[in-house]
Amino acid sequence: MTTSSVSTKIPTVVLVGNPNVGKSVIFGRLTGRYATVSNYPGTTVDISSGVSWLAGGKWRVVDTPGVNSLWPSSEDERVTRDFLLKERPDVILNVLDAKNLARGLMSTLELADFHIPMVVVLNLADEALDRGLDLDAATLSRRLGVPVVKTVATTGEGLADLKKAVETAAVPKHLGTDVDEIRSGLQVLSSELPDDAPASRAVRLALLAGDDSVLTWGAGGTSSAELYSAAQRVRDRFARPPRQLLFEARDGRVRELCAEVISVRGRLGPGLSHRLGVWALRPWPGFLIAGVVLYAVYQFVGVFGAGTAVDFLENTVFAEWITPGATWLIERFFPWPFVRDILVGPYGVVSMAFSYAFALILPIVATFFIAFGLLEDSGYLPRLSVLLDRVFRLMGLNGRAVLPMILGLGCDTMATMTTRILDTKKERIIVTLLLALTVPCSAQLAVILGMAAGLSPRVLMVWLSVLVGTTLATGWGASKLLPGARSTFLMEIPPIRRPLLRNIWLKMSVRLTWYLKEVVPLFIYGTLALFFLDRWGWMKTAERIFSPIVQGWLGLPARATEAFLVGFLRRDYGAAGLYSLQQDGLLNLRQVTVSLVLITLFMPCVAQWLMMFKERGWKGALTITVAVLAVALGIAGALNRVLLMFPGLVG
Amino acid sequence: MTDTQKYPIPTAEREDVEESLGLLWRQRELGFTEGNQLRNALAAAGSPDGFDRLVRHGFIKEELGQVWLTPTGEELACDVTRRLRLAERLLTDVLSLDRNAVDPNACVLEHTISAEVTESICTLLGHPGECPHGHPIPPGACCRNNEAQLSPIVSSLSRLEAGDSGRVAYLQIKDHPELHRLLAMGVIPGAPIHLHQTFPAFVVEVGETQLALESAIAARIFVRRTGRGGGAFGRNRPKFRRLSPFLWRWIPSHDRWWFLTWKPPAFWWNWTELLKSVW
Repeated sequence: MTTSSVSTKIPTVVLVGNPNVGKSVIFGRLTGRYATVSNYPGTTVDISSGVSWLAGGKWRVVDTPGVNSLWPSSEDERVTRDFLLKERPDVILNVLDAKNLARGLMSTLELADFHIPMVVVLNLADEALDRGLDLDAATLSRRLGVPVVKTVATTGEGLADLKKAVETAAVPKHLGTDVDEIRSGLQVLSSELPDDAPASRAVRLALLAGDDSVLTWGAGGTSSAELYSAAQRVRDRFARPPRQLLFEARDGRVRELCAEVISVRGRLGPGLSHRLGVWALRPWPGFLIAGVVLYAVYQFVGVFGAGTAVDFLENTVFAEWITPGATWLIERFFPWPFVRDILVGPYGVVSMAFSYAFALILPIVATFFIAFGLLEDSGYLPRLSVLLDRVFRLMGLNGRAVLPMILGLGCDTMATMTTRILDTKKERIIVTLLLALTVPCSAQLAVILGMAAGLSPRVLMVWLSVLVGTTLATGWGASKLLPGARSTFLMEIPPIRRPLLRNIWLKMSVRLTWYLKEVVPLFIYGTLALFFLDRWGWMKTAERIFSPIVQGWLGLPARATEAFLVGFLRRDYGAAGLYSLQQDGLLNLRQVTVSLVLITLFMPCVAQWLMMFKERGWKGALTITVAVLAVALGIAGALNRVLLMFPGLVG
Repeated sequence: MTDTQKYPIPTAEREDVEESLGLLWRQRELGFTEGNQLRNALAAAGSPDGFDRLVRHGFIKEELGQVWLTPTGEELACDVTRRLRLAERLLTDVLSLDRNAVDPNACVLEHTISAEVTESICTLLGHPGECPHGHPIPPGACCRNNEAQLSPIVSSLSRLEAGDSGRVAYLQIKDHPELHRLLAMGVIPGAPIHLHQTFPAFVVEVGETQLALESAIAARIFVRRTGRGGGAFGRNRPKFRRLSPFLWRWIPSHDRWWFLTWKPPAFWWNWTELLKSVW
């Protein structure tokens, strides 16, 4: 997932285009590596690279986050622009949505000013055909001066042509900025700029358009303040903002091109999926649809995954076969009690780590990833953003923030990285805080559903309302405390598409592999740590130290301390510790509810914590950590008091 | 009250005075208020004695080298600027005149339109906030009252109803840099636009792109309407009537009036008891 330092001898080809046009699918097809593919803008937020054989040679292929404009307004767009300026790739594959040619060509004309050889890829050609649009690739190729290829990336159609076309890539004509006003503006800018200012046309256009993020590119001794004031002087001479002039000039060109290239063959009426997409956006029946979707997910994950599958794996596979089998084998081959304890004792690797990871969490996570993949690929998630926009405004956010929060239900670490799609620093901090505090990840959700499965539904209701309440209150409080204003809600809604089972399967297996690779070792370390803590008697010490908090304030048994200690390693691991306490009959209903709330709100796992440091800096991450600890202990303790007063709440 | 009654100046002179005041207003927007600068600006615009005439009529006064508009002057300058900039909008948006033809014609038009016509034009254009050059249009009484009886040709997206369609006329984005993203997403003057819904957020289709946006942005997108939606889901209908038949049909007939027979439990302050009695 990083810009790896492959030796410079291999030429680089980079995929650039609007969001949600299928760059990642093409990347996967070319390199054989899997990049997450979903049906919403902003799936890719960082650069990923792989190697492929194209046009008879070895190429480095790079996938970039989608851009609306290369004058970036969010961080993921900035990643792409910086890559183009810094790495100067040898060829750009400009991926367009064939059915939305006008918008795609805007990006083509914008890329043309980077003066890099280019191939234009008209992807989603099948959807364009369904809408009765016939595109003349040859004419477009002649007008732009670059090869144009039609593809359907999901089926692989046209990819052979694409591989060949890389060889014939050419520098496109500067069609978009060929306007008198802009030309003279550029000339004036050249005379105003110091001599050692960057000479690239793209950088100068960005300066003219007032894109201040480009100022750091003033290499060669020119201070950014000088560049800024020079650009400002030139901009002041325009009656209308130069950025708007540029867009309108490009738009004029694009319309000419479209008129030449597109012929309409009559259009099919809107299908069922289109109508579903429209309904899902309206309050009626949008909220009903949301309810049905939520219920279906709960049935599949909560009832089938957490109930049936876990029951079978835990009580039949592990309890009857694996654990007795392992015990028998180990007693036979390892007569030493120390080794026996470490493998199958109460804190044993097989009896504890493996049974948590495989019997308890794996089935739930697998069913969750399937359900989640279906939601992602259908294009339903962005529609939730529209429905929830008003609610999120209470928290100083807007509907765009719904996406990272929902992705957090899958994995909070990845979701913390997705906060890049948000516009302002304030919003990114609030969402990072909420992800660390209230949003349970899939693995944690798994254990929570497992614990609540046999209990009265009221426990789950109390847990849910406390979480929602905490989210709203914390978000509201944070939005009042942090400086800055809420950004305005503006978001693209992708069309509803039928999910491809192949992609769902692929995505689930990639995520499960990741789960097994990352989680199982951590579970083993955690178990070993617990084992030694227990053996050396430190567990008792820790329990004594924390007993005023755990027993006094939270009203939990002393053994719960261990769950919270390892909870930092993996949140689900902590939850699993509580699960075993509950199985041993050590927790009553009140204590179950309090500990569920606490383990959800408590510290994020190590991986997420490190990601917070990477994305928010150490100051932000530490502040968030302190806030999370304070709020988590405060809320859980308060809940304990409330439940002591009204035991009827949880039955 | 007509203009002649309001500002008793001979007609031939009036145009000159108005021109000069409009110029002063623009200079003040740019931050120039020094007497000498303004004298030169007026002289350059072709009326060397313009400055003194304004002083004579009591529209401006000069103190310590700074020039101030008197209350009458302020009112007339504001009015003139408003008329000029509205005229430019009218010529650009509705009559689609070429850019080069807009300015000279607007200059003539501004002196001939009366207060009533100004208000009508403003309402017709949907109370625009900026002229085509991007200068602010001072709001008039009609803008403050938010009048919309006269069905406007160009109106902001936030005033349209679900189902309406049209073409983007212009974006008012100078004071809102975030909205440049709209341009990148294809909301460009001339693009066909269709409004799907207005609540909980505005959803529009521009070309093949579907966008969700909040009303603060919708208020800055001005659309020349070509098709009218409304219909069963239009915004004219009260919300209650739209929803109620659906909700009503969902309740089985024997259960519709259950709340009339419901008795609160004796321990009504215990909310678990309360919930039990409802279910």
